[in-house]
Amino acid sequence: MLFGIEDPYVWSALVLCILSMILCAIYGALRWNYDD
Amino acid sequence: MAVSTTVLGFAMALYLAVVVYLTWYGYKRTLRAEDYMVCGRRISSYVLAISYGATFISTSAIVGFGGVAGLLGMGLLWLTFLNIFVGIFIAFALFGPRTRKMGKNLGAMSFPELLGKRFNSRFIQAFSGAVIFLFMPLYAGIVIIGAARFLEVTLSVDYNLALLVFVIIIAAYVVVGGLITVMYTDAFQGTIMFVSMLILLVLTYAKLGGVTEAHQALTAMSNLVPESLSAGGMTGWTSFPVFGSPIWWTLVSTLILGVGIGVLAQPQLAVRFITARSSSSLYRAMLVGGVFIFMMTGVAFLVGALSNVYFYQNYGKIAVEMAGGNIDLIIPTYINDAMPDFFVVIFMLTLIAAAMSTLSSQFHVMGTSLGYDFYKGIVSKFRQEKTVLLTRIGIVITITVSVILAYILPISIIARATAIFFGLCAAAFLPMYIGALFWKRMTRAGAIAGLVSGTILSLFWLVFVHVKESSALGICEFLFGKPSLLSGTWQFVDPILVAFPIAFVISVVVSLLTNPPDEEHLEKCFKGV
Repeated sequence: MLFGIEDPYVWSALVLCILSMILCAIYGALRWNYDD
Repeated sequence: MAVSTTVLGFAMALYLAVVVYLTWYGYKRTLRAEDYMVCGRRISSYVLAISYGATFISTSAIVGFGGVAGLLGMGLLWLTFLNIFVGIFIAFALFGPRTRKMGKNLGAMSFPELLGKRFNSRFIQAFSGAVIFLFMPLYAGIVIIGAARFLEVTLSVDYNLALLVFVIIIAAYVVVGGLITVMYTDAFQGTIMFVSMLILLVLTYAKLGGVTEAHQALTAMSNLVPESLSAGGMTGWTSFPVFGSPIWWTLVSTLILGVGIGVLAQPQLAVRFITARSSSSLYRAMLVGGVFIFMMTGVAFLVGALSNVYFYQNYGKIAVEMAGGNIDLIIPTYINDAMPDFFVVIFMLTLIAAAMSTLSSQFHVMGTSLGYDFYKGIVSKFRQEKTVLLTRIGIVITITVSVILAYILPISIIARATAIFFGLCAAAFLPMYIGALFWKRMTRAGAIAGLVSGTILSLFWLVFVHVKESSALGICEFLFGKPSLLSGTWQFVDPILVAFPIAFVISVVVSLLTNPPDEEHLEKCFKGV
């Protein structure tokens, strides 16, 4: 059970959404001043 | 939606005033063809991120797919995950920088031109342009119909008048201001969408007593799943359907994979990468892009599913019953019933902004594919100084075709337009696009083989096998007396799972069987990539 959702096939999707947003943010921040 | 027409009229006037200003701004900044086609390759990260997201997310993603979540539940969040991971992370981290640099190296001003120049083939540019201008008007048609129906109900105006005025406004700013106006209006419209969906998320959870409480209340409603849906495999609104059931296949193959992967080869999105000022502006765009997509589809799916709790607690009915069986009415009914008046006005503007931002990009890319890519591919001498004029003519022609299609095609066909276009683009363009960016050994013959086989296979599967489209089109029924040539699970498998892998394999095999491409040309393509 996570966020009040019992089915791991559903709450894992919500977790992956949050993780992928964080991944995008970290990757973008690390390459903020990327020099072509 | 019951709201003061005066308040809505004032908000609309303010909104249109900004659009007019941005049209003038785009017109003033358009000094050469490159400005009109790819914003002079100097778009900043915020405009790029929001424009990409707002083009990606149309009204149907919020209202249509939100309604599907109201019917089938939160399993759709897998699509949001793919939208963020594939549509933003993979697209901006892997495809974006290479597309931008290769586009700059080759002087490409459109997605078909990039592919054509990469493989030294005018046929690829013309054929890709033809696929876009022949099939994209269908996709634009469904967005036009959705917006006109929405305006008809909210403003109490005639449907035909709403449709024509809406299309003329968008056509005017696309034709006059080119891609600069399109992307800046996208950024303005996307900002409205972002704020609106954030408010919707907060108000919904506040109304239902908090995140965990709302989800638990929805979980407890699993015994209320309609008989017809539980027979199809549905188990509840917070649980996944039974593995292998028809609803499972629909959810996994069409909604999640079809739309989730199909996004990579959308020409109106890929051209955004060519407009970027630098690779760092692509990377910076990822910060906003991921959150923006979650705020659009993630919120629409969560709220769509949770509307069941609100309706059950207040009326003793589930969402689809409240909407009279029409899932497209679930989100509007919920907004009208559960949200304060001030938000109803904001949400109306959001839906208009979502339709406009998607349509304007469709109009621009359809016009460039006809007036630039297709025309340039079939004439022996193309006069570069005529680019903007020909593109403007292309835009007017393809918009006219879109409006005619919206009127003459039965709604059963046009309702499948988004799935048809996404599936077709993935099978036709994606093998060649991946090869162009990541595999130097892919040859012109391999690219053409993948493009043509992907197009034919995808269309075959749509017309004769995938029952949602084949039954709507009726060609299979007419020729063979049955809606689909195959039976059982195959009828529910999306074309992207069949046509794309086969076209990809064909591309690779043909490339390996033909002579490697010219080293000098490859060096030019991959300089700095």
